[in-house]
Amino acid sequence: MAEIRAEITANVWQVVVEEGQMVAEGDEICILESMKMEIPVTTEVPGVVRELDVEPGQTVQEGDRIALIDES
Amino acid sequence: MADPRYDWGPLVGDLAARKARALEMGGEKLVERQRSLGKLTVRERLDLLLDPGTWVEYGLLADHMDAGLGDRYLAADGAITGVGEIDGRPVAVAAYDFTVMAGSMGGVGESKIARMRAHALRQRIPFVWLLDSAGARIQSTSGSSFAGAGALFREQVAMSGVVPMVAAILGHCAAGTAYIPGLADFVPMVKGTSSMALGGRHLVKAAVGEDVTEEEMGGSAVHTKVSGVADLEVADDEECLRVVRDYLSFFPQHNRERPPVRTSTDPVDRRAEELYELVPTAARRAYDVRKVVHAIVDDGHVFWMKPEWAKNVVTGLARVGGQAVGIVANQPMVLGGALDVNAADKAARFVWLCDAFNIPLVFLHDVPGFIVGSAVEKQGIIRHGAKMLFAVSEATVPKISVVLRKSYGAGYFVMNGLAYEADYIVAWPTAEIAVMGPDGAVNIIHRRQLEAIEDEEERAARRLELAEEIRANIDPYIAAGHAQLDDVIDPADTRAAIARGLHVTADKQVDRPWRKHGVLPV
Repeated sequence: MAEIRAEITANVWQVVVEEGQMVAEGDEICILESMKMEIPVTTEVPGVVRELDVEPGQTVQEGDRIALIDES
Repeated sequence: MADPRYDWGPLVGDLAARKARALEMGGEKLVERQRSLGKLTVRERLDLLLDPGTWVEYGLLADHMDAGLGDRYLAADGAITGVGEIDGRPVAVAAYDFTVMAGSMGGVGESKIARMRAHALRQRIPFVWLLDSAGARIQSTSGSSFAGAGALFREQVAMSGVVPMVAAILGHCAAGTAYIPGLADFVPMVKGTSSMALGGRHLVKAAVGEDVTEEEMGGSAVHTKVSGVADLEVADDEECLRVVRDYLSFFPQHNRERPPVRTSTDPVDRRAEELYELVPTAARRAYDVRKVVHAIVDDGHVFWMKPEWAKNVVTGLARVGGQAVGIVANQPMVLGGALDVNAADKAARFVWLCDAFNIPLVFLHDVPGFIVGSAVEKQGIIRHGAKMLFAVSEATVPKISVVLRKSYGAGYFVMNGLAYEADYIVAWPTAEIAVMGPDGAVNIIHRRQLEAIEDEEERAARRLELAEEIRANIDPYIAAGHAQLDDVIDPADTRAAIARGLHVTADKQVDRPWRKHGVLPV
């Protein structure tokens, strides 16, 4: 299991994946918005999105978990 | 029959035997063990580091000379020193031999290295450490004679910025041998076999009760991705020695010399039209600025420094028209390119490094500013941001800026804005230079007006409208109209623009009031 965490305090702008979806290394999980920039959050490991902790419009703090990836 | 009074045979034979014994290092068994750990021997490392046939060794016949260690023989006292050449230019070398008492720092070995430091300073040549050492030889120095120790670090500080210093980490280095890289300019680390920590595993267990491996505590992953102490993670000893040679190729021998020019067949006026594909015109969209750097430098060759740490800013050595340059570029792909404490630290140090050795700086701006908020204030963003301001202000090498897209607030200053003695500053048509972006500014300039609108949708629409009014004043042609930009350029001509900037600044001189030194924000 790999945890994906926010690296910056931000608004969640778009969530790109759904729970249960297969992702490859480098795929976007969501796009944050901070400092007036779109900040794509990607996975460094391939696998299945087991849990998704964010939805569009909410705020995340640096270090908050965004998703849990079940490595395959 | 030879006259015994003139029989040199035994004397010369004895000398040869002593030298052969020294070259056997710690003996067959320990050399075998060194190899089984995936490491090369110290002699093999020297062969790979230096041009063939250039090695002049100092102190091959050294031993520990410590009565406390009895009749034990320590080849070269575990520290190989001498002078060799890299690309035909001399460098002083100190290489610890882990097969000799774990490469521990003994009295004789350290005096050999001190002699090399003095030699490097007198000759004004770079110094390279190949570190594979357990640290101080506690067996010899556990008593209070330690009170006189430590000159090595002070002397290293005196060398800083005079001659280039490289500390390659090729084994587990603790304490004494961990501060050498801390004071060196460039620190590559071999993945899997190297580490550095102020206290080794056993000391840590005893002193603070933590049970941790050398790798977990101070391996290459820790120091190239988390702490930022090391510059580059490499796969093995061979790659490590190759990158040391490549790194030094960008540097002069000392601070009063210019970096060597390495001519290339890549034309300086080559148009980089791939930039149209690489960089979105919409300022909010991310892209990988490393590709932009590759597209504009000679042959696409960049020597990235600290590529895995503070990735929101990228720093690297490259050449344009054969001339070495240090590149500092914001990375919109990471944290939107916004600057944080580590990015400011990384960029400031890189600027100091290039400035010390007369390497011109090229800044590629695409920065929304410094990150704001309580999290970064607690980390001391003001102190770290001030460090980058300090380094860029202080640098007297040619400083060239290309504003790719946005460059806001203090982000514009630390990226070598016009007021920072930028020698040539140009922008792409997409450039937005302002105290802050329109979306932020609107909430400050028109806060009351916006708060007075009760309907949420109406307020949002008005906010957009007002932001557009502000945006209309953020335009590179307005800055160019005030001659605050030297030119607006076609992105495809960025390489040619940098080459022009280097050409017209080649003889830059800056005079400042005398001072002992500034008071550095660190």
